[in-house]
Order: sequence, then C-alpha cells, then structure tokens
Amino acid sequence: MQLFQPQEVIVERGSEASPIYRNLRTALPGVPFRIVDAFAAESDRTSVSAGTFGAAKRRLVLTRHKGEFLKKCPGSEGQVCCNYFVINFASNCPMDCSYCYLQEYLADNPELKVFSNVGDLLNEGDELLSKHRRFFFRIGTGEITDSLALDPYIGFAREVVPFFADQPNVLLELKTKSDCVDGLLGLDPKDRVVVSWSMNPQRVIDLDEHETASLSERLVAARRCQNAGYRLGFHFDPIVEYPNWEVDYEEMLNQIFSSVDWRKIAWLSMGVLRATPSLKRIIRDRFPRTQLLTGEQVRCPDGKLRYFQPLRVEMYRRMLGWIRRAAPTVKVYLCMESKEVWEQVFGFAPSCEKELGNQMVPSF
Amino acid sequence: MSQTEIRQYAQSKGFHPQTLERWLGWDSAARQALFRLVVDLKVGENHLRDLMDWLEEIALREQSMIEEILAGKPIVDLASDPRLGRADKLKRIKEEIRRRRFPRLAQTEDAIRVRIHELKLRPEIRLTVPFGLEGGRLQVELSASSQDEFKRLIVKLAEAATDNRVREIFALLAGHAVEIRSKASHPVKS
Repeated sequence: MQLFQPQEVIVERGSEASPIYRNLRTALPGVPFRIVDAFAAESDRTSVSAGTFGAAKRRLVLTRHKGEFLKKCPGSEGQVCCNYFVINFASNCPMDCSYCYLQEYLADNPELKVFSNVGDLLNEGDELLSKHRRFFFRIGTGEITDSLALDPYIGFAREVVPFFADQPNVLLELKTKSDCVDGLLGLDPKDRVVVSWSMNPQRVIDLDEHETASLSERLVAARRCQNAGYRLGFHFDPIVEYPNWEVDYEEMLNQIFSSVDWRKIAWLSMGVLRATPSLKRIIRDRFPRTQLLTGEQVRCPDGKLRYFQPLRVEMYRRMLGWIRRAAPTVKVYLCMESKEVWEQVFGFAPSCEKELGNQMVPSF
Repeated sequence: MSQTEIRQYAQSKGFHPQTLERWLGWDSAARQALFRLVVDLKVGENHLRDLMDWLEEIALREQSMIEEILAGKPIVDLASDPRLGRADKLKRIKEEIRRRRFPRLAQTEDAIRVRIHELKLRPEIRLTVPFGLEGGRLQVELSASSQDEFKRLIVKLAEAATDNRVREIFALLAGHAVEIRSKASHPVKS
C-alpha cells in the first residue's frame, strides 16, 4: 500500500496542543504545516466536481470537532439494522474507492479532516458506557472515514484503544481497507477490540479500490492483529457481480480462512454494491470507465440501486455456502437488506435491531 | 446534425442543462444516432435520461458503440414498423433497450410471466410481481361481483396454489436456479 503524503497540513489554531498534532508533526516531517485561525472550507462555495473531491483528499485539515462524536449508525430506511454506534474521529478518507458513498455524503464538505479533541471523544464514550453498564455496545469508527488508513500519521489508535479495552460493556470495531496496523500491535485489546477488513477479490481492488492495500496485504495485517490478541471481522461489502465473480470470491474466502483462525472472527457481514441515483451520477463523472454501474441494478424501496433481488439473494446464498463450509458457526449478517432478503438467504429475519445487535455480541 | 441543432432542440423542449451537456459529451456518431430517435419519436426528458443511462451502460459493458446499438436490427425494425404509432414505437424500443441492459432480470420476469400464463387463471384473478422483482412477493388480486363468484375464484386460486408452476415462481423470486422457459409449455401438477 502506498504511503499517504498530503500536500499540506492545515491546522486550526487551538489544535496544536493535541497529541494528534504532535504525531502528525513527527510522521510528516517533509510536509508543510500551516496554522490558520479558522478553516474556511473552499467547498462552502463550490459543490463537488470530479476534481474537487479528489483534490480534497490530498490536503489534511486538523480541527476541533464541534458536535457530538458518538452517534447511532443511521442504517438505511426500511432495512434490518444491527444496532451499531459510530464515532467520527475524522471525515473523508485518503483512499479513493470508485463506489464510495462519501463522494455523495461529503459532497459539500469533502475536506480530509481529523479532529484534534480526542479527549472530548473519550469523555463522551465514558459518559455513554458508564451510564449504561447493563447494555452492551458495538461502536465503530469507520463510518465516514477509514479507521486505520491515517493511523501511522495521527496515532489515533493508541489514544483510544487503551480506554475502550478497559470498558466492560463495549466492543470497539476498527474497520479498514488498509494494512496500517503497526500502531495496534503493542497495545493490549483485552478482547474488547475488533479489527475488521472490507474485503474484495484482487480484481475488484485493482479496478475500483484505488490507493487501498492489496488483498494479500490485508490478510497479512489481519493475521498480525490476530496474533496480537485482536478479534477480527470481515465485511464482504460491496460484493460486486461480474462474469465469473464466483470464482474470485470463492478463492478470496479460501485465502481468508487459510490465513486466519475463523474461531477468532467476531463477525462477517455481506452487502452487495449499492448506490443512490445521485451517487451514480458522481461515480459516472469521477470514474467514467468503471464497470460497476453496468450490473443489473434496480431501484429498491429505500431509493438505493442494488442488483435485482433474485440475483443478489443467489449471490448471498453462494457466499454463505462458501463461508459455512470453512467456518460453520461464525456469525454472519447482512448489511442494509430487507427482512425478505434475510429470510430468503438465512431462512429467518431478526425480529428487531436489538435482537440482531445481541446476536453480534460475542461470548467472552 | 450539429451540436447547435441538438442544443436548440433540447432548449425548445426545456431539457435540463445537465441532460443536454451529457448528451453533447457523447461522440458525434452516438449523439446523432440518439438525436434521430429522439426527434422521430418525440422522446420526453425522463425517457431520454433512461435511454442515455441504459445505452451508456450497455456500451461500456459490451465494449460497443452507442450508434451500433441503436442501429441494431430489433431497434431498426421497430422504428420502421408502419403498424406502430409513435408512442408504441417508443414504448417497444425502450423495452428492447431495457431488456438488453437488464438481460437476466428480463429473462426472470419472462419466466415468471410464462408460468402465470400457464396457470390459465380467469381474468378476475390477477397475479403480478413487483417492478424489478424487488420484495420477492407474488401479488394476488381478486375481483368478484358476488359471493358465489368469490367462492369460485378462491377454489380456482387454491388449485393454482398447489401447482408446480407456483412453486417455481417463488423459486425464481428467491433466486433459486429454475429452468427458464421462454414459451408456454404443458401444465404440470405437483
């Protein structure tokens, strides 16, 4: 995986005292730093274009987060939800997947931002977890950024993993397409941290997951994390359909299960490629040659385009068959799918998000 | 046809500037082939956008040219069929392009339609599937004008429910491999 080298780091005044700033200074000695009183986003004045979004990824902004860090995962309207919480410690991502929904979600605010007030984040986490000790929480940091791609530069993991590792009622999930796990290896996760990878065959990575780690790099990183005591997760999301997709996906699953011990896997998820019509237009502008949009996708009740239901159900069923062959009891769930699809794939659908959330809690 | 002609036509029809710019961004031959179709069939903007989406995606997937797709025999035959009015031509041509854009969806829809047809239900019993097969449900609609008729329809529907073809319809909706028949065949009871 290529090293991330921003053209510039812009630091909003007041952030210089944070550990993130110190880490950035140490990790990026050749990159110019500019201190500003207030970061005025250029994108406040211009909506995203093919160039703006890509350009925004090459400049890193360090600023304070003014709102709440912890939020309930929004899921997708009418779909089965897994009762997940998210922490947004950064916004946007240095990698550049063709299908990434952030192209639409952050269209008006595409700057690659890292939030300096990690102490506030930990205070929020402490307040939630200590106030509700009877409940078990699954919290992830990979909703609007990659959890680990920036870690070699900002050192976020070593600021937060020790805190979450000490909590009795949480699993922290760090979700990534990178192999940036060095910062995790010296920490003790105490069984409270899941490091998970979004996985696709190398063909999909080559064509549509730009600037990410290769499949084999992700697997090496996963094995290193497993050896260091972390639980693992794998997200087959988005699954992309193309001629002979089955061969590539079955081979990828074989590689995963021969690289790691499936009994240490906390969960696997599956979700097919999906896009809103507006994201589709953005993808068409930014990646005109991608084949992603040429699949047989139709509009679903939540407004997103997915492969038509019989096709994607068949895809899920085949994936599940290959998974079950190697890992008979590993937890598998669907991301952003309807109850009908759950029933057609698994033969049942969770009655509510609480039920699915509870199923995802591993035994300790 | 020059870009100016397309621009003038699109403006006269009130097409959104984004639609126009996208169209003008096509290669000259593709641009002109679509222009001929749009003018001949008086294609509205929503239909035009669907056609542009599908044509671009077919061309990308099949590594073909848009003008070649539009010059294909099925499209040319429909466009020149004197028995069809303008609206029917547009409907049929659009369906032809949709089927090429979504071949397996169209095949599955056809296979379901064939099985529904083979059930030989009375017109008062309507079986349909949702657009794009999303939801995986067979929709059943009955219309009766008396209790007796209602009873007869229920009996007929109950008979159909045990038919092998109904099992196959649900199998198709659930993505199970079922032999796809494109023409009606003999009825088979389970």
